Amino acid sequence: MANDKKVLIIPCSGIGKPVGTVSRETAYEIIDNLSKGKAETVCLALLMSQDKETVDKVNYNYVITLDGCAKHCAKKNTEECGKVPDKSYMILKFAAANPDMKPRGIIDIGEGGKALVNTISSNIIMDINSLVEDVTQN
Amino acid sequence: MDDKDTEIAGRTEIENRIKKVGIVSCSGEDLPEGSISRLATLDILLKRKPFDTTTICLPLFIAGGEGDRLFAKNFPTITIDGCEKLCAKKATEKFSGKVSHSINVRDFIKEGEKPFNKRNLNEKEKEIAGRVADEIEKNVDGILLEEQD
Repeated sequence: MANDKKVLIIPCSGIGKPVGTVSRETAYEIIDNLSKGKAETVCLALLMSQDKETVDKVNYNYVITLDGCAKHCAKKNTEECGKVPDKSYMILKFAAANPDMKPRGIIDIGEGGKALVNTISSNIIMDINSLVEDVTQN
Repeated sequence: MDDKDTEIAGRTEIENRIKKVGIVSCSGEDLPEGSISRLATLDILLKRKPFDTTTICLPLFIAGGEGDRLFAKNFPTITIDGCEKLCAKKATEKFSGKVSHSINVRDFIKEGEKPFNKRNLNEKEKEIAGRVADEIEKNVDGILLEEQD
């Protein structure tokens, strides 16, 4: 059976902390480089505005949420639209586990932040592959 | 200004008692104008008006508590949107309160300019962000002036 579902990577839109930027950069790294064609994103604000096309897209496809902090905005706003994310990640946990990969700032996360993005995205890639493969095999 | 370790959210109560203008940016992950909106907003928050402005992550209106939802009631607020859907303006007004000014990035894109990068903005896209930041700054100054009167 062909699997036409994509994996939507929904980062938190955290603008006030470097972990918000890391979340967004991780989503782009996966979509642009690591999982091209399998993954996409949607605007989180559009989802929270209950835009029908966006809500339908989220409910049809697989969803992985990436939250910068413990407020879990990406996860909660996704759930608010009736979709339980297939996988949810919190950037702060990765940051705590990798203290040598410290983002420098909000606009420019620096080399430490980029290393953190690479570490997180390589974890998520495995999830994407297993989600897409699961359905292909069924 | 080096933005190393700068945090906008999580200010102390005393800092928040000083009159500030709230800036709420659309998150626009799925379009280049979202990144332009965010860059312009951060330019104001971190470089041009760090002591006069504050922000909140837009989706926090749903995920956060009552205090987060009072943002637009506590601060005169300017919203920055990346497209005609005006998510920042609509969500702020729905969950928090009426905004003082609403800015759409697309109104600052000149004929022939077509932003396409969502990350690593090029010089032309940064120029657009600069024009949006000019407009935000003008509105922040206007609000602060009104507050003084």
